[in-house]
Amino acid sequence: MAKFHPDLQMLTEFTAGTLSLAQSACVSMHLTYCTKCQEISEAQTAMAASLFEDLEPVSVSDSQLDIVMSRLDEDAPLTYPKESKGAQSSTPAILQRLMQGDFSDLTWKKITSSLRISYLTTGDPYYEFALYHIKAGGVIPEHNHRGSEMTLVLEGGFSDSDGTYHAGDFLFREAGDVHSPAALADEDCICLAVLDAPLKFTRMRHRWMNPFLQLKAS
Amino acid sequence: NLESGRRTDEWSQCLRSIAKHRDRSAFARFFKQFAPLIKAFALSGSTLSANHADELVQEVMLKVWQKADGFNPDKASASTWVYTIARNCRTDLYRRLQKFDTPLSADDVSLDQDGEEPAVMLHQRRTRDRIRSMMDTLPADQAHILAKVYMEGKSHSEVASELDLPLGTVKSRVRLAIQKLQIQMED
Ligand SMILES: [Zn+2]
Ligand SMILES: [Zn+2]
Repeated sequence: MAKFHPDLQMLTEFTAGTLSLAQSACVSMHLTYCTKCQEISEAQTAMAASLFEDLEPVSVSDSQLDIVMSRLDEDAPLTYPKESKGAQSSTPAILQRLMQGDFSDLTWKKITSSLRISYLTTGDPYYEFALYHIKAGGVIPEHNHRGSEMTLVLEGGFSDSDGTYHAGDFLFREAGDVHSPAALADEDCICLAVLDAPLKFTRMRHRWMNPFLQLKAS
Repeated sequence: NLESGRRTDEWSQCLRSIAKHRDRSAFARFFKQFAPLIKAFALSGSTLSANHADELVQEVMLKVWQKADGFNPDKASASTWVYTIARNCRTDLYRRLQKFDTPLSADDVSLDQDGEEPAVMLHQRRTRDRIRSMMDTLPADQAHILAKVYMEGKSHSEVASELDLPLGTVKSRVRLAIQKLQIQMED
C-alpha cells in the first residue's frame, strides 16, 4: 500500500479532468496501487455528478436527436480491457500501452553509470514523460528543478533526505527543490517521472550532463 | 429522499432497456432528459462554441447507446455514469482542439470503476447516497468553487485568478467541502 500520495488539489484536478494529460496518466497509475486515493476520487466523482444533475438545462433541438438516432447503427469503436491479464500485470496498463512491450524493449539513454532514461510519447506537448532506471545503490546526482517533477515508483525503491519510497509511492517536487535521490541498495529502481522543465544538475562535475536533459515533451 | 430515489431508478431502468432490448424509444427519453444537461455542462466552461457543444452532446449520447451494456446500477447512478462519459468526452474534445496527437483517451486515463467486489460496491453506493443528500447543505462559497472546478473544468489557479482569491483559499474551500461530505481523508 502506497504511503506517499498526490495532494488533494492534484487529486481534485485529476478527477475533474483538468490535469494535463501526462500528469493525469501518472496520477491514474498511482491509483492502481492505492485504494485510498481511489475512494477519494470516486467520492469526488459522485460530488461532481450531483452538480451535473443540478445544472440549469440548456435546450437541445429535436434535429440533434434525429442526427444521433440516425447514427445509432454505426459500429462502436473497438475497446480493450484496461486491466491486462497474465504474469506481467504488475505494470500499470497505461504504461504497457505506451511502452508497447516491457522495460527491456525500450531504448534507454545512458546518463551516468547508474542512471538510464527512456522517453515515452504521450502526445502531451507540455510535459516530458520518462522512465528512470537507477541501478541498485546508484545515485542521481544532486539537481534542482526548473519546473515541477512528478515521480511514481514502479519497481524497487529510492530514498532522499525526506524519506524512502517504494512501488506505488507518488512524489511531487516544485520548481527550486534540490535533492539527490539514491536507489535502495538491493534492487534496481524504475520510476516514472513527469516534468514540465528539464532537470538542472547543480554540482560542477555533473554540469556537462545538462545538455542531454533538454525537455523531451511530445 | 424518496423522490430522487425513484427518479434515479427510472433512468437506470431506461439504460437497461437500451442495453438489453436496444430500445430506441427508451433512448429518445433518455436523450430528452440528459442531452440538455450535457449541453449545459459543455457550455459551462464558456470556452466551447455552440457547435462544439452540439458535437459533444452527439458524441456523449452515442456513447450512451454503445456502452449501455457496461452500466451497472449497483456501482453508479445513471447520472454519475453519464457525467463521467461527458467529462471524458469534453476532455478529449479540448485536447483535439489543442491538436494533441495522443494514443491515450481520457477514458484510458480516468479511474476505472470496474471493481466488482460486493463490499466495494456497497461502500460506493453508501458514499454516493450520503454525498447526494449533503450537497445541498454546503455553504454557498464552497459550492461555488466546486462548480467552477468540476463543471467549468477550471484549474485551482484559474479559479483563484478569476475570483481574485488567493490559491490557498480555493484549496481550503475544496478541502472543507470534501470534509463536510465526510469523505475519508488524511494528510
Ligand atoms: Zn494514494
Ligand atoms: Zn528530482
